[in-house]
Amino acid sequence: MARRKQASFITIRDLKRIFKLGDTLVRAVDGLDIDVAEGEFLCLMGPSGSGKTTLLNMIGGLDRPDEGVITVNGQTITELDENALAVYRRQQVGFVFQSFNLIATMNALDNVKFPMIFAGVSEVERDERARDLLGQVGLGHRMHHKPTELSGGEQQRVSLARSMINRPKILLGDEPTGNLDTRTGTEIMEIIQRLNQQGHTIVIVTHDPRVSTYATRTVHMLDGQIVADNAAPL
Amino acid sequence: MKPRDLLRLIWANLVRMRGRVVMTGMGVLIGTAAIIVLIALATGLQQSTMGGLSDFGPINQITVLPGAYMQAFGGEGAGFRSDAILTPKKLEGFSRIDGVVTVTPVEQFLGSKTLRFNRLVGSSSILGIDPRAVRDMGIEMERGSDRLNRDTVIVGARVAETFADPRRRESGAENAPDLFGQTLTLEMTRTNDEDRDETRIVKLRVGGVLKERGGQDDNSIFLDIDTFEDLNAWSTGKRVDRRALGYSQAILIVNDPKLMLQIESSLITNEGFYAYSARSTLAALNMIFAIIQAVFGGIGAIALIVAAIGIANTMVMSILERTREIGLMKAVGATNRDVMSIFIGEAGAIGVLGGIGGVVFGIAVSKVIDLIAMAYINAELAASGATSSGGAESIAVIPLWLPIFAVAFALVIGLISGIYPALRAVQLNPVTALKYE
Ligand SMILES: Nc1ncnc2c1ncn2[C@@H]1O[C@H](COP(=O)(O)OP(=O)(O)OP(=O)(O)O)[C@@H](O)[C@H]1O
Ligand SMILES: [Mg+2]
Repeated sequence: MARRKQASFITIRDLKRIFKLGDTLVRAVDGLDIDVAEGEFLCLMGPSGSGKTTLLNMIGGLDRPDEGVITVNGQTITELDENALAVYRRQQVGFVFQSFNLIATMNALDNVKFPMIFAGVSEVERDERARDLLGQVGLGHRMHHKPTELSGGEQQRVSLARSMINRPKILLGDEPTGNLDTRTGTEIMEIIQRLNQQGHTIVIVTHDPRVSTYATRTVHMLDGQIVADNAAPL
Repeated sequence: MKPRDLLRLIWANLVRMRGRVVMTGMGVLIGTAAIIVLIALATGLQQSTMGGLSDFGPINQITVLPGAYMQAFGGEGAGFRSDAILTPKKLEGFSRIDGVVTVTPVEQFLGSKTLRFNRLVGSSSILGIDPRAVRDMGIEMERGSDRLNRDTVIVGARVAETFADPRRRESGAENAPDLFGQTLTLEMTRTNDEDRDETRIVKLRVGGVLKERGGQDDNSIFLDIDTFEDLNAWSTGKRVDRRALGYSQAILIVNDPKLMLQIESSLITNEGFYAYSARSTLAALNMIFAIIQAVFGGIGAIALIVAAIGIANTMVMSILERTREIGLMKAVGATNRDVMSIFIGEAGAIGVLGGIGGVVFGIAVSKVIDLIAMAYINAELAASGATSSGGAESIAVIPLWLPIFAVAFALVIGLISGIYPALRAVQLNPVTALKYE
């Protein structure tokens, strides 16, 4: 319980998300509690259908729980209206997805800049920040390539650069290495680890035990609940 | 989101789906062009009609005729009354109506007459009016005084042009004599009881010439009504008792345009007279042309509304294709308002682009129609031997407001057709949108 000594950055209490499928109720997340400290690198594991993605989406403000409270950085996001939730997503979290979700018609640079349009950042600063981040993920020479002209690993780097562009505190990743081979997956995890070392709080969903080795804490889920919580020694 | 970024994003998205934008925009283009061409034709029709009818006469006068006059033309039942007659007492009553400045009876010379000036013969009509009313009629003199008395007359601006040498058949402005201060000879003839022709000669001194004022007045010679009644009585062999039978026409001068139509319609509906004025005639014509424009414009508008359905369809398709992108937009912090603005903006932009194209195309089509029609009309005129100066006017006229209105209308149509697709985009659940294949 060493981690509890630190102030909780993400606090989740009695979280429930129940889907109705025909007549049956699917309890995707079922009365879950967890505290995540600032700067933690949390790995969510568990069998398919255990509710990992559902939990991650609610932390990221993409989905709303049916019950329970989520507080992030002092802000109770479960109480926010649509608009405030959009602002939360914009300012506090960055997402990376298994399937990258890059806009196919935009080059790498424009994909990275895209979120800043909604943040109202000036064009000059957008360009500066995007080039800088693409350089950090090792794509300084591929900025004008379209997603189709990039490898999976390169696409995920673009996506990582995009997730960091509004300087969020939290990075959420749903199987970010799921579509990548082992070697490129490792490269991506190294970048994520570096972001964690820079102070970002990280929550990653994965099936890959090797991914969990980068984490400072691994949590196992089953049937919408946490069944094991192995904090790696800090 | 900054407006500039919004516009750039909209533009980038339109470029991205340019094939579909062009096809959808074509619908808007055709609708807008239809509006332009149809309203241009309606406006052209209005202008050529109104241009030909500039002779409505002074704008401040109402002409009143006895109700029986309209009954004689089958106007029975429309409220015209045979007891609505223009007796001197009635005219006195008219002059006390609020807004009426003055009233004069107007009589036309009924007998046969020849009007001479030296060798020349004129063809103006001769009218009798009340000399006391002249000053208040707002008549402007080109020369001389507006005083009428037993042997002094006022002539209209174009009366001189009607004088010509009967053997040389030349009249018109170039050959017009200067009548001011001159004496005209009015030669009247009648057949007396014994079937014998009698002639009477009356000298009329031209004491004043009117400024041109449009309408009948320009071609008329004005006489003091009492003198006139004597001449008429001699010519027709009997004196009309105006107190019993009334005058055949009266003119009311009203200087307040707001009261004009009101007085006119009151004379008709409340008293059973027949009355008309340049103002009411123009108002009625303008009303008709407004209706024609609205109907024509409406036909074009229907085309544009059909185009709106095309825009909505294109946007719905585009939103389906861009479902993941919308999910991503939401994930990176776009508000519902941002999403709304983007998609309504795209639809509005299709409307504007199609609208601008439609205006250009519509103007081009109008010009082509104009050229073809003018060539045809002028050929017809030439074939019929008419040597009218300049030929007919334009067939299609585009008023300045029309292109502006058409583009604005196309924009509004676009924006409206974007509402439903944009709402669908807003309502997308980001989680499912991001998973969409
Ligand atoms: N939108 C939905 N409608 C209905 N049921 C859903 C929906 N989303 C998730 N579920 C159900 O909720 C449960 C948890 O799903 P979730 O996607 O969170 O699992 P997961 O742990 O991420 O699984 P995987 O490892 O396969 O990605 C599953 O049984 C799933 O079928
Ligand atoms: Mg999942």
